[in-house]
Amino acid sequence: MTVKRITFLQELLGLLGLGGRLGLSWISSAEAQKFVQVVTDFTQKIKSLGPNPLSAFPEKRKAAAAGLLLEQSSVMPA
Amino acid sequence: MNNKVKAWLEDGTIDVFLGYKEVDHHPLPYCFTKERLDEVDDLLLSPARYSLEKIATHMTDEEPDIKIGMLARDCNSRALNVLYLWNQLNPDNVRTVNVNCCPSRLKEHGDCSYLEPETVGAYKRRVGVDNNLALKDVEAYDETERLDRWMYEFQKCIKCYGCRNICPVCFCKECSLEHDELVRTGPLLPDVPVFHMVRAVHMAGRCIDCGLCEAACPMDIPLRLLYQKVNQIVMDLFDYKTGTSVEQPPFSILGDTVTLEPKPIEPLKVINNE
Amino acid sequence: MECKLVPSVCSYCGTGCGVLFEVINGKIVSTLPMKTHPVNEGKLCIKGWNLHEHVNSFMRLKQPLVKTFGRFIKTDWDEAIQLTADRFREIIEKYGPDSIGVLVSAKITNEENYLAQKFARAAIGTNNVDHCARL
Repeated sequence: MTVKRITFLQELLGLLGLGGRLGLSWISSAEAQKFVQVVTDFTQKIKSLGPNPLSAFPEKRKAAAAGLLLEQSSVMPA
Repeated sequence: MNNKVKAWLEDGTIDVFLGYKEVDHHPLPYCFTKERLDEVDDLLLSPARYSLEKIATHMTDEEPDIKIGMLARDCNSRALNVLYLWNQLNPDNVRTVNVNCCPSRLKEHGDCSYLEPETVGAYKRRVGVDNNLALKDVEAYDETERLDRWMYEFQKCIKCYGCRNICPVCFCKECSLEHDELVRTGPLLPDVPVFHMVRAVHMAGRCIDCGLCEAACPMDIPLRLLYQKVNQIVMDLFDYKTGTSVEQPPFSILGDTVTLEPKPIEPLKVINNE
Repeated sequence: MECKLVPSVCSYCGTGCGVLFEVINGKIVSTLPMKTHPVNEGKLCIKGWNLHEHVNSFMRLKQPLVKTFGRFIKTDWDEAIQLTADRFREIIEKYGPDSIGVLVSAKITNEENYLAQKFARAAIGTNNVDHCARL
């Protein structure tokens, strides 16, 4: 079930342009090597993808709102 | 059609028939019964579309053994199939009268006004997602643009829960969108895009692409495109066509057979610009 | 089994969206937007979507309550109206009619709103009338 849901969500996040930021791996408590490998790989991957683009959105929204207002005023007849 | 419905009502094949009738000049869903058989002559194929199967589910909640007949367009039949699979309705208790489906990209002919192209303004076309685009055109935008465009759409959400309330296959007694830990009551802009993603995930294996959610959305969020993507993923991953397939949906817990392997986590190749 | 779909108008704000109540066995089980209504064209806000919950709510007041010694006590309409009228008369005699204001609501009909302002102007004798939808 988990693998189905996660694979599904990976694809869905791809639509929003957030692909590659979700990973799934089964690691037993005896597999220390694998754990290190997975965490290192994933950290490296996330770092190369850059910071979470969603966290920039409150500011972007304000900017967009301001842009919209400007646009409307320029369209409106003087 | 009217005679068939009358005959069914008379011989007790069905107890009630859900169709449309003009009430106060509005074509509205109407429940025909044996006691008022003459009214069946006014049975309409309404251009406005309501989720009759949802009304049927509510009736079954009250009286589990009631035999229901209903008008069924293609979308209604698909919704009924899903409701049968999720044990919300008993196929033995439902009889349908099949009627023409709506005009859409798939079909030219139909007698329902639905799926006429939405009017989309210039600003929305520039910064948001055009409701009339095909899914592949939306996916053609590059990653950042796609995120920006979808976030513009999601940020308009006024959290009216209309998409959930109108959805013919949303029947859960307890909804995660009402769970205080997941979606808090109070803040008006819901936690975007989490709110819509939660709903999208729950639509996997359920959404029948009827488009009622988009029609009910006061902010014109292109929800249909989002759930089309959901259906496409379900098709790609599980080879499951919601509403047509007769086997259990991929996310039902019973009959669980997993053939998928988790995607390997591969580090991205870091491009060295120097 | 009795199932009716009753068209109505949303009682929340002055917009007046068309809603459709799903009444099964005499109980309103759900609210739907009216697709063909010229005002809302099949859309509703969260308040409209939940209209049926107010009707069925266990917290709904079904009879008048009179506050006596700090506690609300159930009473009948005749007594409640008599008490209100007596108290109004007392206040008007003591402080004049302008000490009373009438606030009406978008939740009631035009005719009831008209009656309310008539009551304020003719019966009480004040021009202090206002309305929640006077934005």
